[in-house]
Amino acid sequence: MPVTDQAFVTLATNDVYCHGALVLGQSLRNYRTSRRLAILITPQVSRAMRAALRTIFDSVVDVKEIDSNDLMHLTLLKRLELGVTFTKLHCWTLTQYSKCVFMDADTLVLCNVDELFEREEFSAAPDPGWPDCFNSGVFVFQPSLKTFKHLLQFANEHGSFDGGDQGLLNSFFSSWATKDINKHLPFIYNLSSSTVYTYAPAFQHFGKDTKVIHFLGPAKPWNYKYNPQTRTVTQNDSTPVSENQLPFLELWWIIYRSSILPLLEKLQEPPIQQEEPNMNNDEQTSERENPLINNSLPASTNAECISESVVNPPCELSAKNNIAVKKAECSLEEDIVEPSKSFTEFSVQPVPQQTLVTNEFTSSVAEVAVQPEPKESSADERRKWEEGHIDYLGKDAFENIKKKLDAFLL
Amino acid sequence: MPLARSLSVTSLSGLEDWEDELDLDNAILFEVAWEVANKVGGIFTVIQTKAKITLDEWGENYFLIGPYLELNVRTQVELIEPPNPAIRRTIDSMNTKGCKVYFGRWLIEGGPYVILIDIGATAWSLDRWKTELWESCSIGIPWYDREANDAVLFGFLTAWFLGEFSAQCEEKPFIIGHFHEWLAGVGLFLCRIRKLPIATIFTTHATLLGRYLCAGSVDFYNNLQNFNVDKEAGDRQIYHRYCMERAAVHCTHVFTTVSQITAVEAEHLLKRKPDIVTPNGLNVKKFSAMHEFQNLHAQSKARIQEFVRGHFYGHLDFNLDKTIFFFIAGRYEYSNKGADIFLEALARLNYLLRVNGSQITVVAFFIMPARTNNFNVETLKGQAVRKQLWDTANAVKEKFGKKLYESLLVGNLPDMNKMLDKEDFTMMKRAIFATQRHSFPPICTHNMLDDSTDPILNTIRRIGLFNSSADRVKVIFHPEFLSSTSPLLPVDYEEFVRGCHLGVFPSYYEPWGYTPAECTVMGIPSISTNLSGFGCFMEEHIADPSAYGIYILDRRFRALDESCTQLTSFLYSFCQQSRRQRIIQRNRTERLSDLLDWKYLGRYYMYARHMALATAFPDNFTYEPHETTAAQGFRYPRPASVPPSPSISRHSSPHHSETEEDDERYDEEEEAEKDRQNIKPPAMMGPVPEWRKRSKKGSSEASTSSNASTPTLPSSPSDLSSPTSSLIEEKN
Repeated sequence: MPVTDQAFVTLATNDVYCHGALVLGQSLRNYRTSRRLAILITPQVSRAMRAALRTIFDSVVDVKEIDSNDLMHLTLLKRLELGVTFTKLHCWTLTQYSKCVFMDADTLVLCNVDELFEREEFSAAPDPGWPDCFNSGVFVFQPSLKTFKHLLQFANEHGSFDGGDQGLLNSFFSSWATKDINKHLPFIYNLSSSTVYTYAPAFQHFGKDTKVIHFLGPAKPWNYKYNPQTRTVTQNDSTPVSENQLPFLELWWIIYRSSILPLLEKLQEPPIQQEEPNMNNDEQTSERENPLINNSLPASTNAECISESVVNPPCELSAKNNIAVKKAECSLEEDIVEPSKSFTEFSVQPVPQQTLVTNEFTSSVAEVAVQPEPKESSADERRKWEEGHIDYLGKDAFENIKKKLDAFLL
Repeated sequence: MPLARSLSVTSLSGLEDWEDELDLDNAILFEVAWEVANKVGGIFTVIQTKAKITLDEWGENYFLIGPYLELNVRTQVELIEPPNPAIRRTIDSMNTKGCKVYFGRWLIEGGPYVILIDIGATAWSLDRWKTELWESCSIGIPWYDREANDAVLFGFLTAWFLGEFSAQCEEKPFIIGHFHEWLAGVGLFLCRIRKLPIATIFTTHATLLGRYLCAGSVDFYNNLQNFNVDKEAGDRQIYHRYCMERAAVHCTHVFTTVSQITAVEAEHLLKRKPDIVTPNGLNVKKFSAMHEFQNLHAQSKARIQEFVRGHFYGHLDFNLDKTIFFFIAGRYEYSNKGADIFLEALARLNYLLRVNGSQITVVAFFIMPARTNNFNVETLKGQAVRKQLWDTANAVKEKFGKKLYESLLVGNLPDMNKMLDKEDFTMMKRAIFATQRHSFPPICTHNMLDDSTDPILNTIRRIGLFNSSADRVKVIFHPEFLSSTSPLLPVDYEEFVRGCHLGVFPSYYEPWGYTPAECTVMGIPSISTNLSGFGCFMEEHIADPSAYGIYILDRRFRALDESCTQLTSFLYSFCQQSRRQRIIQRNRTERLSDLLDWKYLGRYYMYARHMALATAFPDNFTYEPHETTAAQGFRYPRPASVPPSPSISRHSSPHHSETEEDDERYDEEEEAEKDRQNIKPPAMMGPVPEWRKRSKKGSSEASTSSNASTPTLPSSPSDLSSPTSSLIEEKN
């Protein structure tokens, strides 16, 4: 029996994370959740992707950080580095639901987890790095504008000790570690894949009960290569993938290939495999062309059939509309001081996941702010490059770059 | 690292003749690289060792540009005020606009000026610059690739600096910008896009794509012309980097690579044939004593032998005087570095030595750092046991000596039966019992973290080289860098190399290859391949490389199995050399040092600079290209006396040479003198670049004078009449 006032909520700040969110949503659907599925997205998400999200999620909520409310706006200006964090806090504004479970887009459920709704706010599983803190990848909460406001005020006054949402939430719900053991979710509800091998015997013993896997760390499932024939996952730089993590990655890819890929193809959003290319490109295409030459050498590539299979998405305008609105409202104009802060931060810090996301978020803000007269298609194409989606077999071929260079060399 | 060499060879004739005829008073050279005062990889070595000769040529007008990194600056750079007023104004102007540009002396030999730019300080401009990059040439940079974003910052800052500098100069000098590798490449094509009056040179030390393709075990060289380069780069997610690299290559006035093999690679992967090949050199330090390197070999070998004694305790059934040490060293890239083919060849060599009942034992060292969990207990125990035996022997010796002395004092000859008492025997017996061992000596000196998946260990398991007593080839895998403080093998890399007999580097992908070059300078023979820059270079310059201890394996035009057979034959023939032959061979190897000295190789960089000036400023400079890019300069013929390698000896029996050894005529001085004469003076080997009217005259004079002083000698092996006749004489 569907429960309409409770929902699983996730978040995607760009098209790449949308792939993760789609797989998460599909995995929840596969295990027949009786709750609603909601996703928060930022304006960076392309129109085609929004369409894909709508087929899986019941509710796709566009989060515009600037016009949401005054307090938010002020806090954001003051603490620019917490940009993405604030996006996540928006889940408390989903007051159409009485209770929600938030799950990061890089998680994957392995069975039905509806029992999480029996828990109270604020329930979460311990963080593997510091078990007195919870990991904010999976948590149970109760949407409330009041809590939302308190959180913003708190952020305004104290900031976040790790620069991200996890630090903020841990400070805010500081009694979690000690007060009520019922608010401790078992670790199997948020098993970070990277910790699987630090306590191998425990994993051997309890691993089979895992309910939610969380792909923590810089390498996300969509960063790996997948060979559909052998159904194996490999890393880009040919280093072997940890054995314990492998089955989960394979599972992710199986869902991606069987459910998400056809969906995206239908909606003409270039899927990861063709955009995040690898050896299996060849195999994949040859599979389509002729199933008998599957084992052809990687060197015997056929450029033509690959270019056929890459779909060039049309330039979408919806994202642009948002940008235009934002531009008018925030009136940053040529002011490049704002983005500068975050870029300094970006180049000094190492590369924890949070900063990368922050950076990516601000870069798209900066893009709007700095570009004097953004040509719609050019800016869009540049965005594609910056996300690593390059049409190197088509319009971005080096021949075209060379022509531009030659114009200067005369 | 300056490598020492002996004075056994005085400076080669012809070297000093060559002089740069370019008027450098009004020219300024900037050399731009990410590795300036920043050790990341091999390019650091190139730039650091080359600085001295460049400085000799350019003096105050030579500046290196690199990134400012706090840690490096603290240890390597002395910050000073720029003496050049235009540079000072440029730096001041940039610093007032929010940049952080530093000036100093890099504390290496020669102390060149460095300009270091803090890219973090201007990171706020990244997006503006990325927009400019996008608008001018449609190259976008993904936000997650930090290295590429750094390259953009560094590129824009260097272009800013060079543009500002050229504007600040009152008297417009001729500026040369020499950029190394793709990380500096952005600066190059920006200079061109902004039409700065700068002559540009771009040097690649390897191509981005080549490195990726080889790591992916593609049949690289056979498909070189067939790759769809855009697709390959895009598939590997390095398209934006590749675009930066190709844009730099496309825009530069002069394009150079470090070796012929990389030139071929660049031609196909970067779609431009290098204008000139600029090989990498070393700083060769000369010893004052003759044959000092032979003494050093003996010393270092003794230390390695000590280690081997401990390592093989309980199994020391082979004669250490007839033991030959091979080694392979480098980054742990199993097939790129050729460890695969080396192991296979060792297995075959083991079979050959056993079947032929050879007395020779081979110990092959693998020095390739991998992830380990410290030393292996068994190996440490080996050294402890050896130490204990040494102590026991010393204790007995002390007592023995004392008794002998006492007996002599009273005027008696010692009674040998009373010299050692029962206690001594017990002690010695106990020590011997401690050396008993039921397991084979270990292969690996450390506990490997990935023992079960390690490619070297797995191959050893497959081919069965377990250091058993029947094996003539023993293998020791040392998965850590060598250090003189190690409790196991307390030698540093240089000492270790000196103590070995042969370095084996059968790499598949090796744009240059400093390891065999270092061996050569230390007088240690080595095996390299015709796919390595070093191998190609040596092949061009020496008629019979193997006589000089430079064995060049053909991996380019042969199948893997054939290459392996060839490697086995190299190893086998090396094992059959007598001690004397090895010494002669080392002398010859060491004589090649001059070839690898920057004093000689630096000229290729000079050519590149001259060519760039002539291309960029055709009204002021002219340059006549060299007709032969290959085989310029030295050309060593076959050595005059008997070749040391039995593979080309006329004796059918391997033992034959041992008995006749003393008949071989070998005169080091005579041979060295021949080598010196056989080197073509550079003035003869190609047209010297023309520099205005004045320069041209000067250079032609130089060439005639050297012509007169040096007899023309044959350079190809086919017309070596005199050495051949001496061989025949000898046979009779």
